[in-house]
Amino acid sequence: MTSSTCYHCGDPCGSNPVRYDGRHFCCNGCKTVYEIFQHNGLECYYDLEAAAGTTPKALVGKYDFLDNPELVEKILDFNEGRTQVVQLHIPHMHCSSCIWVLENLSRLNKGIKTSQVDFPKRKVKITFDSSVLNLKEVVLLLAKIGYAPEIALEDYSRSKNKVDRSLIYKLGVAGFSFGNVMLLSFPEYFESQEFWLDQYKPFFRILMFVFSLPVVFYAAQDYFKSALKGLRSRILNIDVPIALGILVLFLRSSTDIFFDLGSGFFDSLTGLVFFLLVGRFFQQKTYAHLSFERDYRSYFPIGVTKLNADGTEENVAIYKIAKGDRLLVRNQEIIPVDGILIKGNAQIDYSFVTGEAIAVSKLSGDKLFAGGRQVGGALEVEALKSVSQSYLTQLWGDTAFSKNKASSFQTLTDAIGKRFTMAVLTIATVATLFWLWYDPSKALNVFTAVLIIACPCAIALAAPFTLGNLLRIFGRHGLYLKDTNTIERLAKIETLVFDKTGTLTSSSGNKLVYEGMELTAEETSLLRTTIRASNHPLSRELYNILIGHQISTLDEFVEETGKGVEGRNGAKAIKVGAAQYVGATADTAVSETAVHISVNEDYKGRYVFKNNYRNGVVPLFKRLFKNYQIMLLSGDNDSEKSKLQRMFPFQFPMFFRQQPTDKLVFIKNAQTQASVLMIGDGLNDAGALAQSDVGIAVSENVNVFSPACDAILDANKLTRLDHFLQLSKKSITVIKASFILSLCYNIVGLYFAVTGQLEPVIAAILMPLSSISIVVFTTTVIRLLSQKLNTVN
Amino acid sequence: MEVQQFHYDNKIVQKFLYATMLWGVVGMVVGLLLAFMFLFPNVTDGISWLSFGRLRPLHTNAVIFAFVGNAIFAGIYYSLQRLLKTRMFNDTLSNINFWGWQLIIVAAAFTLPLGYTTSKEYAELEWPIDIAIAVIWVVFGWNMIGTIFKRRQRHLYVAVWFYLATFVTVAVLHIFNSLELPVAALKSYSVYAGVQDALVQWWYGHNAVAFFLTTPFLGLMYYFVPKAANRPVYSYRLSIVHFWSLIFIYIWAGPHHLLYSALPDWAQNLGVVFSIMLIAPSWGGMINGLLTLRGVWDKVRSDATLKFMVVAITGYGMATFEGPMLSLKNVNAIAHFSDWIIAHVHVGALAWNGFLTFGMVYYLAPKMFKTNLYSKGLANFHFWIGTLGIVLYALPMYVAGFTQALMWKDFNPDGTLVYGNFLETVQQIIPMYWMRAIGGSLYIVGMLVMVYNVVVTIRRGSAVEDELAEAPALAKVTYRRTAGETFHTWLERRPVQLTILATIAILIGGIIQIVPTLLVKSNIPTITSVKPYTPLELEGRDLYIREGCVGCHSQMIRPFRSEVERYGEYAKAGEFVYDHPFLWGSKRTGPDLLRVGGKYSDNWHLNHMYDPQSTSAGSIMPAYQWLVKNEHDRTGVEAKMNAMVKLGVPYTDQDITEAQTSMAEQAKQIEENLYGDPEFAKTYEADKTYAKENGLEFVEMRDREIVALIAYLQRLGTDIKVKDTEKLLSENRN
Amino acid sequence: MSVIYVLLSISVCVALIFFLAFILTVRSGQYDDTYTPSVRMLFEDELVNSKTTNNQKTDKTD
Repeated sequence: MTSSTCYHCGDPCGSNPVRYDGRHFCCNGCKTVYEIFQHNGLECYYDLEAAAGTTPKALVGKYDFLDNPELVEKILDFNEGRTQVVQLHIPHMHCSSCIWVLENLSRLNKGIKTSQVDFPKRKVKITFDSSVLNLKEVVLLLAKIGYAPEIALEDYSRSKNKVDRSLIYKLGVAGFSFGNVMLLSFPEYFESQEFWLDQYKPFFRILMFVFSLPVVFYAAQDYFKSALKGLRSRILNIDVPIALGILVLFLRSSTDIFFDLGSGFFDSLTGLVFFLLVGRFFQQKTYAHLSFERDYRSYFPIGVTKLNADGTEENVAIYKIAKGDRLLVRNQEIIPVDGILIKGNAQIDYSFVTGEAIAVSKLSGDKLFAGGRQVGGALEVEALKSVSQSYLTQLWGDTAFSKNKASSFQTLTDAIGKRFTMAVLTIATVATLFWLWYDPSKALNVFTAVLIIACPCAIALAAPFTLGNLLRIFGRHGLYLKDTNTIERLAKIETLVFDKTGTLTSSSGNKLVYEGMELTAEETSLLRTTIRASNHPLSRELYNILIGHQISTLDEFVEETGKGVEGRNGAKAIKVGAAQYVGATADTAVSETAVHISVNEDYKGRYVFKNNYRNGVVPLFKRLFKNYQIMLLSGDNDSEKSKLQRMFPFQFPMFFRQQPTDKLVFIKNAQTQASVLMIGDGLNDAGALAQSDVGIAVSENVNVFSPACDAILDANKLTRLDHFLQLSKKSITVIKASFILSLCYNIVGLYFAVTGQLEPVIAAILMPLSSISIVVFTTTVIRLLSQKLNTVN
Repeated sequence: MEVQQFHYDNKIVQKFLYATMLWGVVGMVVGLLLAFMFLFPNVTDGISWLSFGRLRPLHTNAVIFAFVGNAIFAGIYYSLQRLLKTRMFNDTLSNINFWGWQLIIVAAAFTLPLGYTTSKEYAELEWPIDIAIAVIWVVFGWNMIGTIFKRRQRHLYVAVWFYLATFVTVAVLHIFNSLELPVAALKSYSVYAGVQDALVQWWYGHNAVAFFLTTPFLGLMYYFVPKAANRPVYSYRLSIVHFWSLIFIYIWAGPHHLLYSALPDWAQNLGVVFSIMLIAPSWGGMINGLLTLRGVWDKVRSDATLKFMVVAITGYGMATFEGPMLSLKNVNAIAHFSDWIIAHVHVGALAWNGFLTFGMVYYLAPKMFKTNLYSKGLANFHFWIGTLGIVLYALPMYVAGFTQALMWKDFNPDGTLVYGNFLETVQQIIPMYWMRAIGGSLYIVGMLVMVYNVVVTIRRGSAVEDELAEAPALAKVTYRRTAGETFHTWLERRPVQLTILATIAILIGGIIQIVPTLLVKSNIPTITSVKPYTPLELEGRDLYIREGCVGCHSQMIRPFRSEVERYGEYAKAGEFVYDHPFLWGSKRTGPDLLRVGGKYSDNWHLNHMYDPQSTSAGSIMPAYQWLVKNEHDRTGVEAKMNAMVKLGVPYTDQDITEAQTSMAEQAKQIEENLYGDPEFAKTYEADKTYAKENGLEFVEMRDREIVALIAYLQRLGTDIKVKDTEKLLSENRN
Repeated sequence: MSVIYVLLSISVCVALIFFLAFILTVRSGQYDDTYTPSVRMLFEDELVNSKTTNNQKTDKTD
């Protein structure tokens, strides 16, 4: 109900909501957005979709790099005169209200001419007048209304080269020609001898020939290419028989009509190509709004603030940072390079890089590693290396990132292709030899007929439709695959390697367990009030846990960096922080992360931070343990080891304090025994994900950054992992089954071919019949098999 | 370049809405009158311009081009502006479109009852009106394409594509089917003859249904259903696939209307195959439409607009499934010429076109006049009575068609027809005609209720004739800019220019194709015994056309034992080579007339025309007494013959110069034959003397219209009268 | 039956036009985004009743 939830973003407003215009808001940010919309006649935003908004984050200087003209030029789609065009990726876009407001930006600022949303891609294309406002102002405007764009240079370098639509053209050409050729070829099937028909035969046939030309020479070219490529590298892939079939079909048909031997097989020819392309098209399902290619660069900032010797600030592109540069790192910013902390209160959260759950505080002079996120005040850092040389980023130098898994993996279809081609060629030659001896006039006819009818259209369709369907179904259930090839690899997996932090544990805060004497309500409220002022990550977490308790005012507040905070309200003074700071006597496990509390100098107890494991992890592991070897690979310390061992009824290898490179190497070794599936989340897993046979990145919000991988799994669906694996296995069986089915068709066809009685009409019937039945078969079976996914959760 | 304010032209939409309702009522009332004529044949006794034959085309034209046509314009003029975020290209064009179209309708409403018709179904209007249609249609297209040019929304919503397709194809179809050679201000002959004419006509006839009654309404469906339900179409991707596949298949399906006709088999079968294929895209569209409403069925329950649309889409689904079924040869063998077809088309017309239009009107009226619908109750009443009307109309017609068709084919053990007398099969289905009339009445009542409901709504509301709206202008895009982009305005505009250019290209190409066809007579194979009509017969044929006899009497005996047994030798392509236009017909309310020549005496025909029931008791044919009374103006015959010569009919100059005399002779001969009947002689002489005594001027029988008509009827099918039917049967069995 | 030439060429021509139109529209990126337009058409841009489009839920496409 609106009284307790924010009118703008729908979040709970807590005990003291911001009241404005008779509505409640969870924070001033939301209120401001509401005001903006209201003043610009955009209230309709709230009619379309209730509480659709997102709270705008305070981002001081986050987009400062947009002051750097060189970077701006890189990002702009187009820049001519006063007109500039930019495409921005906006992860928060999620409903019709978003589309509406983003397409009405021009009402917020007259400088914006048009804005067009591409929802599937979560992108908005904005045309604006550079004389009125610049790119930075556009971006800030978006951020201000809660649609902060996510800008990563590499995305732009990619999006500049045009979208490849050749497949659609080819499909169109094939389909169009197919339709017309059918129209022209059917008459001769219906009635062979008819006065008028004889009049038109030549006309019809010529037209058919003309229509088939673009199909053979344009639509089908990929098959010829790939066949040639295969042959050159001495591989008989499935495209060889296909290309052969198409070629023979064309030549045979052309000779047929030009020497008036028959009507030719143009309908089969065009149909064949059309169906093949449909298969390709179906297989080519991609998740436009996800990126499987991202590396650290899209996680790191594009530009940073450099402090010159003369004290002036300057925005430089990240790759321009040189050793010895002084950099300014603000709250919530990421440290771009390894460096030395010069000054500032550093609370670095490495969780995304090392898997270390809790932020660590650093003092000036300490070494900072690239990738850490500063929480708290601004820092001044001196770079020790350039970005690419930094400890973490070196990882991407590894060969694991350059190799293409798909190409190195031989698909089932291609495996079949080899034997199939052999078989066909032998049959063809044998049959031909027989006819040469028996009735030479028919020999060529038979030879071509065999190659035509044996053209493995159906086989080539089996995999695309089986996997294509599965890909879509997986997508609907929260597992987004890069391509269908991944499914085949997934089916071969024997070993599963899990990352801990962020994968098995939910990144949404740790579990805080209080150990010690009960605190009175008054004390708790004092505690909350005290830590409210502190921006130490642990304090922040604790503060959030204690939400709901009253906030009182403090008479006195002291913060000792790296030690703790002290707050006084009247007679009561509370100390929160490290053990010795509060004067704790009880010894505590070093590995444990805890906040100790004492009131008026006598020790009360401590809040211990425990990992918060996702529900259903244990049963999932139980199910997986039957069929797979499971390992755990964590960058975190082993404080959780014992707990984990208690959690699971069975033992499996666990490795802690694993650096990114260690993980990569670990996977490499594991792969010598079995094919490995890596499930991780952070940059520290990037190497492992790349190296493994299949790398699945777990993500709470699939739209925001996740490292390069083969698949992105919605964190809440982690427990379905075993079902996904099962289905992948089954899909392979389905493909094999449909191979057999299509072989039956081929055998029937071959009978006609070998006996030299293959009429165009037979081909015209068999070809589509086999293809369509394969499509129907695979689709239905896969859908039936995947029913289970709907029941589990 | 920032946000621009502009006005939507609601006035034009309102005009078309009014026209839709007005002509809807007119067209349906005429239809109802026709329905009752089946029960009381002489209800409009003696009034030539209210006779069934002349009103039937009026009904079809009024409903298709006046009611549905205006609905299409209303819908397009409303949705196009909003989809493209701009006012119509040019208000003058809009108004020319509107008034021109209404003028055409009025012209039709006069000419058709007066008997000026080409007799080609759904293209009955004579050449001057045809030209007017072409012009107005181009104006519409021009206006639409102009609007697309100045649009503010880069993406062309799928509905717009359906509109574009409608424009292009209808233009082409209309022009090629209406190629006719004028002989007088309101008289022309189709340039094609017999089989060819039939082929063109049904290629047009089918596609008229496809592109005038279907594609524009699919466009409207894709706009108004999401709007009314306020949720996006189920799958936009599917809608795009739907459009393109429909476009590529529909154009081929024509020939299935000519199954078992004298058209070559392969051409017929081709039509069949592609008709079957049509199921896929059609149902794709239907499913897409219905699934759009998933999750808002509660809304459907309360909202009349959505109710209408649901039934409309369902009707579309039924019709598009039945169509291909009907194109299956064995089904068609039964259904063709029977009331089954009437049922089929009315499911399409009443449910799909009618109900979608009603839904649209209920959606638009309140929007146009900034108020709420006067009465939801009445709207719901309209919905229920309308639905009931459709059911009561369709079901009896299915039964009637089936019953009659089976009776036609019913044989005795001894090999003779059980119902040798056609009238028996008619009497059998009179009850169904009653029910049909009732169903129709209900539907009209609903329609009238809507008109009342809407009128009151309009009264209460305030017409916003120019509605203020705002949208950002499309940024000018230079060539350089397009380099890295995904959309290219310059390219994007091409389809539009291309559409125009290509249309012109086709027309030219088509003309080039046609001219030789017309000149080269040699490519029409003639059966030597088949001769051109005599001048009098030619005149008679024009009377036959004028009175719309083709509406109830076919001239196409299909190669079935039952038909050969009943009517005689089956039809041959070669027989029709001089038939400009062809008169095969599509419905047998009465018997086939291809071989009627010589079956009856001249007197029989005379009496039959004067009072059908006198010669055939229980006949539901109306009397054509004016034919018997009126003097026949035969002055134009030379012109007609000259025109025929141009079209390849081998009249010699002598034939033409002696036309008058030859007519006089033949007429005299018939008059003498008539005298053969003493009854006739008595009454006729009596009239003559009476006229003399009272000094009234008296028209000789030989100068009356009936004589020419008799001459034509007696000629029909006599060129090849083969006695030995057995031989033929054995022929067409294999 | 020479009319078959006519009909065939007309039909093929018409088909060709649409085919070209198809290619060109794909080229121009009209079909790059096959979801947003279906939502966009629901928005009313009449100022007078800019509030009439209310509470419709649209599902995200993935």
